[in-house]
Amino acid sequence: MAVPVSQMYTVASYVLSNKLKGIKRYPLVLMLEPLFRCNLACAGCGKIQYPDHVLDKRLTPEQCWAAAEECGAPIVAIPGGEPLIHPEIGRIVEGLVAQKRYLYVCTNAILMERKLKEFKPSKYLTFSVHMDGLKKEHDLAVCRDGVYEVAVKAIKEALKLGHRVTTNTTLFDDANPDRVRQFFDEMMSLGVEGMMISPGYSYHKAPDQQHFLKKAKTKELFSRILSRPKGSWKFNQSPLFLDFLMGKKEYQCTPWGNPTFNVFGWQKPCYLLQEGYTKTFRELLETTEWHNYGTSANEKCAECMVHCGYEASAVSDTFGTVSGFARTAKLTLIPTSR
Amino acid sequence: MTDTKTHTSNASGSPEGRVFKPATEQERAEAIELAFDYRGDVTIGLASGESIVGFLFNRHASGEHPSIEFFPEDNPSPRTIPYAVITSIAFTGEDTANGKSWEAWASKKESERRAEAARVEEDARMRGLL
Repeated sequence: MAVPVSQMYTVASYVLSNKLKGIKRYPLVLMLEPLFRCNLACAGCGKIQYPDHVLDKRLTPEQCWAAAEECGAPIVAIPGGEPLIHPEIGRIVEGLVAQKRYLYVCTNAILMERKLKEFKPSKYLTFSVHMDGLKKEHDLAVCRDGVYEVAVKAIKEALKLGHRVTTNTTLFDDANPDRVRQFFDEMMSLGVEGMMISPGYSYHKAPDQQHFLKKAKTKELFSRILSRPKGSWKFNQSPLFLDFLMGKKEYQCTPWGNPTFNVFGWQKPCYLLQEGYTKTFRELLETTEWHNYGTSANEKCAECMVHCGYEASAVSDTFGTVSGFARTAKLTLIPTSR
Repeated sequence: MTDTKTHTSNASGSPEGRVFKPATEQERAEAIELAFDYRGDVTIGLASGESIVGFLFNRHASGEHPSIEFFPEDNPSPRTIPYAVITSIAFTGEDTANGKSWEAWASKKESERRAEAARVEEDARMRGLL
């Protein structure tokens, strides 16, 4: 199984506990952005277009720990910018591990090999390495030659040291299903724990507006990629979310499932849209007009199928319906039955 | 909205270079909304005569006392400014999201793309990020 049993148990008991208490909106994954500065300038990224003095701002470790406590999500993802640039990333991670959060450090891996000594292997810590395909596709996506090889080397080293490592992949409309399947083989052969995949989102501010997937195309592409899955492939995400990407499930977005905290505050309403900021997580939950967002409610959401909006919906389905639970169990135990 | 067009607006639709001197509350709110959506620094003119440069990252348009939240370029702490004291907004900083379309990237010659990638890499290296 791609996700360790202890992590599955933590998430399951957290979701069930919220459902039993009748809590409708609860966070599942905190998206913690400790900085926006990156050492790449990928064509599809909408996160790094700011003036220098904003890119130079950092959340302190104390701010990161407090945000995780305040939010209470059992999982914390640390994207950015490139989090390994943060001079105190080691302390940030150490504090979150001490809180027993399952932590995903999302990195392009350029600095990873050099920085590994700052981290102690833990079941709570995973390096989620950004890999957008085989060498040709990945280096094109990140607009720099040689990054794929650097990342592969860092993955091998991290695995050798006993770290948990996954990959995260954003697919664009020019993705070739056969090449993506080869890429999955390649990643699994490295020995990673699992892979995460998602379609891109057409950031209003992203330079690459032409290449983002529209919904029908997304479903077609992911069906071609994920049909007849190989037994060796493992995905570090909800099997029902993969069903959703293939068009086998319909979900409404749960933007509160992946709340975002960064140098501006708690971001309204989700990781992808920036409609304003609040000072506290409670204020985010209570003042965001959630009914204004989602597939049929907002044109900015109409074509979105990104994991930060729908993975929490899939997890809710798993623990909220008998059919969802049965399907998840089946796909977890027999992944090739898809 | 009053736009003094002190600078020439660029063809891309970005407000970079434009200056707004709103005459009504609605015009001021519209200019603030535009600045909130802008990925560059702006220069805010205040009723006191003060002028501050920085990044407008949030606004509270509703309520009794609407205000903006602003990171001055020369001060790490954010500043809260009431709508009521804002007399002008100039889009003085570079629009960091403008002019970098995929089409523009793809249409460049291979040599130009390599040069641009090299510039980004060199910038990261100069900052000690590689």
